Amino acid sequence: MTTLALYSNKGGVGKTAAAVNLSYLSAQTGAKTLICDLDHQGSATYYYRVKPKLKSGTKGFIKGGKKLIKSIKGTDYENLDLLPADFAHRNLEAAFYKLKHPRERLSKILKPLKNEYDVILLDCPVTISMLAENIFNAVDYTLVPLVPTTLSVHAHRQLLSFCRKMNYDESKIYTFFSMVDGRKALHRDLMELVLNEFNGALQILIPYLSQIERMGIERQPVVAFSPKSAASKSYENLWSKVRETILSPAFH
Amino acid sequence: MMHVQIKHNLPAGFDQRQFISELMKTYAIESDRPELNRMAIYDTFDWRLFNKSLVLYACGNRFFVRKLFSNEIMHGFEIKRPPVLLQDFPKGEIQEFLAPILKMRALFRLVDVHSRSRAHRILNQDEKTVARFVFNEIRSTREKESPVLDAYVLLQPVKGYPKYFRNLSKRFKEAGLFASENDDIYFKALASVDKNPGDYSSKLNLTLIPDMRSDDAARIILGSLLQVIKINGAYIAKDVDTEFLHDYRVAIRRTRSALGQIKKVFPHETTARFKKDFSFLGKLSNQLRDLDVYLLKKEVYKGILPVVLRDDIDPLFNYLRKKRLNALKQVVSSFKSEKYRQILHDWESFLNEPQKDAPTTSNADLRILTLAQKRIYKKYGSIVEASSRALETLDDEKLHALRIECKKLRYLMEFFSSLFPRKKINVLIKQLKKLQNKLGNINDLRVQQQYLLHISEKLPATNQKNKKAVVAIGALIGSLDTEKRMLKNTLPQAFENFASPDTTRIFGELFSPKYSKEVS
Repeated sequence: MTTLALYSNKGGVGKTAAAVNLSYLSAQTGAKTLICDLDHQGSATYYYRVKPKLKSGTKGFIKGGKKLIKSIKGTDYENLDLLPADFAHRNLEAAFYKLKHPRERLSKILKPLKNEYDVILLDCPVTISMLAENIFNAVDYTLVPLVPTTLSVHAHRQLLSFCRKMNYDESKIYTFFSMVDGRKALHRDLMELVLNEFNGALQILIPYLSQIERMGIERQPVVAFSPKSAASKSYENLWSKVRETILSPAFH
Repeated sequence: MMHVQIKHNLPAGFDQRQFISELMKTYAIESDRPELNRMAIYDTFDWRLFNKSLVLYACGNRFFVRKLFSNEIMHGFEIKRPPVLLQDFPKGEIQEFLAPILKMRALFRLVDVHSRSRAHRILNQDEKTVARFVFNEIRSTREKESPVLDAYVLLQPVKGYPKYFRNLSKRFKEAGLFASENDDIYFKALASVDKNPGDYSSKLNLTLIPDMRSDDAARIILGSLLQVIKINGAYIAKDVDTEFLHDYRVAIRRTRSALGQIKKVFPHETTARFKKDFSFLGKLSNQLRDLDVYLLKKEVYKGILPVVLRDDIDPLFNYLRKKRLNALKQVVSSFKSEKYRQILHDWESFLNEPQKDAPTTSNADLRILTLAQKRIYKKYGSIVEASSRALETLDDEKLHALRIECKKLRYLMEFFSSLFPRKKINVLIKQLKKLQNKLGNINDLRVQQQYLLHISEKLPATNQKNKKAVVAIGALIGSLDTEKRMLKNTLPQAFENFASPDTTRIFGELFSPKYSKEVS
């Protein structure tokens, strides 16, 4: 069993698109997979055509247990389930603050699910406070999409220094390039810089492609509705890389 | 994700189209393209998977293991070529799962069936799949004209949408579709090629009647052993696994033992002739079986050796493999000889001879129960007596003789087990088997040491590799000797159990003529 967070402290970087496609690819290999949509915007939930509603809102989510398991929905694909988002998740941070051990709650919530699934993917909202700490405490690895722009690189440095300060294991944080425009010289230069500077940088890039944006119309992972497209190929490459460098001890 | 799906058999003449268009009045339904699949079912010759209620089947390169009467897949994996022996399966979980079941047995592809399935999906307002039903038709060939072995529809829930599933179940019932249980395509598929699961076992499974004449009972026992000899003999030349030869040889040994131990039921000359003949048959394959055993032990031997010597011993196995090929050729050609055929022909004719009313020998018309009790009780007594002598010295030769006597007793008990209370006799057989295994292992270790010593002289010492192999063989012989000594030390305790007052009492209860007179 492995838990993997698709996380970024910067918005609009292709987190959800990656989480949706990777979860589909994981299920296709036969691994029982769960994607948890923690973002109150519920984009992953929307892509999988599920209503963004939990049985008893954020309260029920924080409580975990049987009620939460009952909220899980089967997707249209074999081996793949989804824990839907709920609009009330916009108050998730605040709800965590009220608890006795606020930083470990997410880990506790996910614990019973770990027996049911081989892979759990978290699609996380943008955060670098209490919720982020909960995520780092709950997952085995974190995967950060990085758009090769100066501000993104800056945000990633900030994330790593946050981890160092809070004593989170930096080696469990991986990045890949997202929304890359190969025509831009700046993108190429920054990618080189990133590969040199960050240890967990995977040599994989997801290009900026209109096929990926079409997911909103098709309401399916791009790897499902257009499996032969360049977009699908790039997600498949990302998934193989994730399998061999991150998950390989969990798979045989 | 799919979980418990429910199978509904289709009644004859069920109109699928009509059914779907009825449902479409209530639900949005999207139909997938039909899928054609070929499914092959595998098992060993002696139904090892079936006996554990398991089904191994393949669709193309994808193999699955499931329980009988269940659709839940326990293991799924991909292999390029159809597996025959255990080592053909992917290493890891699946090999470990199958190892204790299949052991050295080969798999046979028993039957192929063809399925045509079409999934229909129920969609909600978001066009999300919230339930599925899949129509399936199974035929023995791809042709549409070939008879349908099974036709059914699977109703599959989608997690989180139980209402749709409940409502559909209701609609299924209203349309005359009922959940079917205790039904598995496995049986229909095998029946379509006249195969009957579990119809072969190397174990003796005889039912004798206590008042039967002894010569009749002996003919039943020997006839059933002849079947085992014939069935397995036919496969030895095909060389699929080593177990055909093994079962064949055990049946020959049991035949010899029955001829010797069920005394005076046939004319003396007949018994003497066939005893000689079966001894001849047994010897034909001695060398081949020995070589099989050494090759099967390869991994065990390597495990015994110190790590530095493990790979050095490989030339030995290469040499043995070559030798085995020759030995197999010899066995196959001996099976084709006139003498071999004559013996089996004469034996079969003799067993099929009509019963003679006037018995020619003293035990022929004795009740079989009486003869069985007498023979078993006597053998037990003589073993208890001989064992104390053999245990004094733990001499190899004496232990070997004792082992053979134990084997004779076990065969007798197995031939006649249907005449006695099952639980009690099985306890005794099990106890005897334990003891016999010990004696057998000691003897095997002794023979192996001698054989390895003999082989090490035969390996051409011309190259470095063979020289290294000889060193490894030396180390192996040393380890085998230590093991033998350790085993010998555990013997007295094992015999103490076998000759204990408790065991003696049960033997008395079941087999002593005195005791049985008292009860009757």
